Amino acid sequence: MDPTLTVLLYSSVAAGMAGLGPLPLAWRHRPPAAWIGWANALAAGLMLGAAYALTAVDSDHSAVVGTVGAVLGVVFVYSTHAASRTSDLELNRLDETSPEYGYKVLLINTLHSAPEGVAIGVAMVVSVPFGVFMALSIAVHNIPEATVLSAILASRGVKLLEAAGLAIVTNVGQILLAVFTYAIVEAAPGMRMWALGFAVGSLVYLVMVQLLPESYRQAGQTTIALVTIVSMGIVVLLGGAAP
Amino acid sequence: MSPAAVVLMYGLITALATGLGALPFAFVRSVSPRLVAYANATASGLMLGASFGLVAQGTRFGSWQTVTGATVGVIFILLTQRILGLYDIQFGRARGAGARRMVLMVVVMTAHSFSEGVAVGVAFGGGVTLAIVITAAIAVHNVPEGLAISAVLRPRGASVLACAGWSIVSSLPQPLMAVPAFLFVEAFREALPYGIGFAAGAMVFMVLVELLPEAYGQARKPTVALLVSLTMVAMVLFQRYL
Repeated sequence: MDPTLTVLLYSSVAAGMAGLGPLPLAWRHRPPAAWIGWANALAAGLMLGAAYALTAVDSDHSAVVGTVGAVLGVVFVYSTHAASRTSDLELNRLDETSPEYGYKVLLINTLHSAPEGVAIGVAMVVSVPFGVFMALSIAVHNIPEATVLSAILASRGVKLLEAAGLAIVTNVGQILLAVFTYAIVEAAPGMRMWALGFAVGSLVYLVMVQLLPESYRQAGQTTIALVTIVSMGIVVLLGGAAP
Repeated sequence: MSPAAVVLMYGLITALATGLGALPFAFVRSVSPRLVAYANATASGLMLGASFGLVAQGTRFGSWQTVTGATVGVIFILLTQRILGLYDIQFGRARGAGARRMVLMVVVMTAHSFSEGVAVGVAFGGGVTLAIVITAAIAVHNVPEGLAISAVLRPRGASVLACAGWSIVSSLPQPLMAVPAFLFVEAFREALPYGIGFAAGAMVFMVLVELLPEAYGQARKPTVALLVSLTMVAMVLFQRYL
């Protein structure tokens, strides 16, 4: 298969998996707060594991460049949040029904999917198995993330099928950025460390600013820490099998 | 001097270097809840970065062994938390939850030093010629660990000298473990990935279960997230060059 097509295929699978997010809500339309916490912690652990896998990629290129890329990644996400005034947005308010909150939640999810696309794209350049592994980690990560989004949407009266559609739409940026990053880094190998660093920095920052903070209040500290570290451990373990 | 004594001496030097991590805190006077949050976030970044490096090292020996070690590390923290919860802990002027967190931090960092000591000893097994390079690397690497410990102890009222002292204590297992690991390299090489996994699991879990929740409770989340991710990135770079 043409390599670009492989990137397109797997990043589409990753984005499409978000459509499974609303499934738990079919069982219980208004989920208890703890579910949201667990979903966020699960997503956080998978993302931390993915970030670890990207730092562990052996490279002959300069680690300093990777670090500058990582700082850029952190600054990028920080400033997009600041510019869209979503820095202090809490992704757990099922009782908040203002239209502004709804748009901001959709916006923050759309912004969130961009660094994931970069991660998939650059991982595909490193090697196809590593890229597939990264895409599948992000794919699984997208499910609990979409569960949180759908819970917020459902509490505002959005139907589950529409919530599934919106969850996929917010992740379309992932496909575009995966293909874009892959094309750029393939054409200019000097960009590899920049992209790797950017992905690591932005993924870690997203975990710290978006996924973990509220989850601690929704479920106990010990539960959240356990869910996060176990899902992270699984990614580390599987990553060892797909270098 | 016998080779074992050389290993012990060099291990002691690396332990003393950990005390240097307390130095930046000589300039911190006022203690506010927000400072505690920032210090927690900094310590979290340092520990996460260190764990990423450890796991990368451990999985070269074997992924399963590393993850098994990490699981034991998590259980170790859970048990220590429960045991500490049974007593009315006092640490310097601090009591209650603050004091418990301080004790837990010293325990975690001390436990993690055991596997570092094994790593030093096994590395020395390759010949004493590289000794100075390895010692220097581990010593420099210990400074941010002292920084992480001091970041947790200092804002809760420990003096700079106490911070330096506890930082050094947390590294004492290094010389103690380096010697037997050096003498019985083969046996210890087998155990190394478990030890490395243990250290990483314990540190990551400590970050997730104690340091981050407290930090989020006392400062804005973008600030906490910035500090964690930037110090983590710096720590990963720092380790690449050692």
